[in-house]
Amino acid sequence: MSTVQILEWEGINNTQARRPAVTKKVSINKLSGEKVFKVKFKFSILFLIVSIQIFGQLDSVQQLEVVNLSGAKLKKYSKGYKVLTLSDSIIIKNTESFTNLLRFNSPIYLKEYGAGGTSSASFRGTSASNTAVVWNGININSLNNGQTGFNSLSVNLTDNIDVRSGGGSIEFGSGAIGGTVHLNNQLTFNTGLKNQIVSSVGSYNTFNNLYKFSYGSEKLAVKFGVSYNISDNDYEWLGTDLKNENGAFDNLSFNLSLAYKLSNFSKLSLYSSNYTGEREFSGTLPNPSAAKEKYKDYNLRNVVTYNYHKNQFSHTLKAAFLKQEYRYYIDKNSSSYNFGKSKRYIFKYDFNYKIAKNSSVETFSEYESAFGKTDQIEEKNRRQFSQSIIYTQGLSNLININAKIRKDFNSDYNVPLIFALGADIKTFKNILVRINGSKNYRVPTYNDLYWPGQGNEDLIPETSVQSEIGFVYNINNLKLDVGFFYIDSEDKIVWTPSGDPERPGIWVPINLDKTENKGIEFTADFNKNIKNHNFSFNLNYSYTIAKDKENDNYLTYVPKHLMNASLGYSFKRISAFYQHLFNGEVYTTTDNIDSYTVPYFNIGNVGADYKIIQKTNQEFSIGVKVNNVFNKEYVVLPSRPMPNRNLNININYKF
Amino acid sequence: MKISKFLLSIFVLSILFVSCDDDDEPQLPKGDYENGIIISGEGTGASSPSITYVSDDFATVEHQIYNKVNSKEFGTYLQSVAFDNERAFIVTDNQNTITVVDRYTFEELGTITTDLATPRYMTVVDEKGYVTNWGTTGAYVAEIDLTSYTVLSKTTISFGPERIIADGGKLYVSHKGGYGTNNVISVIDIASKVVTEITVQDNPDELFIDNSGDLVVLSEGAVQYDASWSVIGNTIGAISKINTTTNTVDSEITFEEGVHPSLLASNGSDLYYAIGSKVFKMSSSDTALPTAEFIDTSAGYLYGMAVNNNNLFILDASFTAQSTMDIYSISSGAKTTSVAAPVAASKIYFN
Repeated sequence: MSTVQILEWEGINNTQARRPAVTKKVSINKLSGEKVFKVKFKFSILFLIVSIQIFGQLDSVQQLEVVNLSGAKLKKYSKGYKVLTLSDSIIIKNTESFTNLLRFNSPIYLKEYGAGGTSSASFRGTSASNTAVVWNGININSLNNGQTGFNSLSVNLTDNIDVRSGGGSIEFGSGAIGGTVHLNNQLTFNTGLKNQIVSSVGSYNTFNNLYKFSYGSEKLAVKFGVSYNISDNDYEWLGTDLKNENGAFDNLSFNLSLAYKLSNFSKLSLYSSNYTGEREFSGTLPNPSAAKEKYKDYNLRNVVTYNYHKNQFSHTLKAAFLKQEYRYYIDKNSSSYNFGKSKRYIFKYDFNYKIAKNSSVETFSEYESAFGKTDQIEEKNRRQFSQSIIYTQGLSNLININAKIRKDFNSDYNVPLIFALGADIKTFKNILVRINGSKNYRVPTYNDLYWPGQGNEDLIPETSVQSEIGFVYNINNLKLDVGFFYIDSEDKIVWTPSGDPERPGIWVPINLDKTENKGIEFTADFNKNIKNHNFSFNLNYSYTIAKDKENDNYLTYVPKHLMNASLGYSFKRISAFYQHLFNGEVYTTTDNIDSYTVPYFNIGNVGADYKIIQKTNQEFSIGVKVNNVFNKEYVVLPSRPMPNRNLNININYKF
Repeated sequence: MKISKFLLSIFVLSILFVSCDDDDEPQLPKGDYENGIIISGEGTGASSPSITYVSDDFATVEHQIYNKVNSKEFGTYLQSVAFDNERAFIVTDNQNTITVVDRYTFEELGTITTDLATPRYMTVVDEKGYVTNWGTTGAYVAEIDLTSYTVLSKTTISFGPERIIADGGKLYVSHKGGYGTNNVISVIDIASKVVTEITVQDNPDELFIDNSGDLVVLSEGAVQYDASWSVIGNTIGAISKINTTTNTVDSEITFEEGVHPSLLASNGSDLYYAIGSKVFKMSSSDTALPTAEFIDTSAGYLYGMAVNNNNLFILDASFTAQSTMDIYSISSGAKTTSVAAPVAASKIYFN
């Protein structure tokens, strides 16, 4: 009888149709990729480690000479939500893997198919396709499977990353249920000329290099960056005499950002990003040599923005072109492959009117035409128009409110009217209360709709209603945030062999599950300086109960407990850190059988840096980092060992 | 008196004991997993493959027996299991691996990880294993020395080989077609490795030698697509009987177009096959298909089937949770019991 279907709608969209009735070529639509490795991190007096920016910034951010306002807007329109910012110093210290950057610094659970393999992210126990990745204000999840592969994206050249937990991110064209990850590039005028080189050499022949150039005059701001990473990634599989034979990767990315002041009121800017990567997919126990899969991908993203801002009015026009292509090789030694391609054209118009000092209204109109095809799916065109309105009101500087509403018109299916409400309320004694509620959705992907012989064009979007209340305590060097969330989802899209009663055994997607996720997200951030000795500590902990409402069983691959923490110390030119991850046990089957689980694991990384040159216009530091310092044997998915203890040496030169 | 009675008892007992010993050497149990049913589950990317043991009286059910005994997991996907007198050979296709265990204790004895390329099924003849492989550049049957666990030779065959059985010095391989469609049965002379092909209907899968020595093959028939992957037609399924002396198809019972039978099983006298969740029964001497089903299992996904004595076993597979094995009485056609089975349960073997 035929082999199994691998249908992993969660981690990847790996629809393998080795079915009798719907056979032909296998076509796997794996997502993502690159490599994982060490996360790196450095604490120093000059670099801030994790700046947890829990609250929205003041509107005054807009008055700064920063051009890309995606980040600022995110904060302006995230009243009542938690937004955690990863600054460029953290990103620069984690050039090996986006997956590990998030794993050690955010409340997100990363499901990774061996280090560097397919990797997907989930917030608060929601599925991977409920996490949106937003690049400079544009949702870049794959059209084909609705997800972003966290190892097929290099963020080394990104200036900062905002991690926003919860729904309601309406203005970024995202109905994301779980949360959003925002990759922002920023341009600044009047900064002069700056260069930076970061380079590291590590275990498994790993080399990570990047160069960044920026220039800002009165009228022109330019940034250029190039990053190249390569690794054999053939780490030892602890507890065996085997190695990760098929794990090598390399990737090259270029970023170019430009802004030009046309007048005192208007600016023209351009952001362009280009990524080419190739990865092998690690095998599993007991025979890593059986792994032959290879994945290549290519991304091109461009957006041109015209902004006019005068008095109470601001207009922003955006035109974007995005192109994605992947090639999946079942056997790297063979020249045949499966592919997917997509092209997207997006036009946006934002109009902001400042009604009074404390209130404003902004409208977002967006038109998108997307073309997607794979070797299995003929090119399809999806057109979508959406209109959102956001109203912001502040009351005596004590209460800040966002009210949002959005309606989409889509050529393929009906999208529900969605809304979001959020508020920050200042109370006594440094305590701020944040509350939010929203309705969100996730649209069926191209694969869900059109997979040959299996896609279901009758699917409707998954929808969810959610709410959260959080308490923030902020005093001097200490910031604590505890949030209680509740998410109720329905019509969740599930692929199942019994989805169509007329065709038992044929895997089809249907709107099936109703789920309920609730839990607590806790963040702490602490800094203390005693006579040039600087100590810092931060922590993300989440407690998540995610259940299928039909049978009250826990959802698979949702750790009940997830915690990461970093401890940093610096003194003059020396700095050192330790970071830790506790990833709780997860069930791998929906019936929650105790023996079908991935056990919990604890892993730690340690590192130190020394600043050889420390001048105002020149800095040179050298560092060392040891990942998995306790040499712990662990897996994220069954039979897929993760890296043993490994080391890298790095330099960071700013001039 | 008391003592003499006691001594007498001892005497009698000892005689009993000794005589027992003499007559009927107590059969030492060969292992925990003797006298029962072995169910293999393919596993998924999210949960590991495993093997469940069910005792013959269905009272004892033990899951993940390989994992428990060896503190290890299989890689994906556990395709099939072959046996010799003492050992079980567990074939995991994507791992290019055959794991050898003691068939009664499930203690691992070794693994074969070289010279295999998407291995599917195995059969054992005279201390040698014969394994169908989809291959990377071409399909083949690997001949394995079961003492050294090394591949001795590879016999090239047509693409997409599936099941393999041995009879009378020959190997019979059904070519279901792998990712595509094929329509041949390969006959391989074990000694000379000469391959002869017999053409049958599309997608041949299960095959066995019936009581009269004929080779019986179930072809599922294929679904045909156009360039844009719309279904444009079907080829027919059939049950073919092949004369193993002449290697020709003697008779062929065909199914209606669009009907794709699967999971042929036999107890020698009768044939059972499935269409969707329905099981059909016919005598192996019948020349026409039954008009009505034998059992409507209402399984969500009927993924495996076997017959033994008076019982029909079917696997209702789940790929996200444990599967179910339903046991039907052949005489009454009624379901007698159900037991839990591995995730993605696909094969049933009698140990």
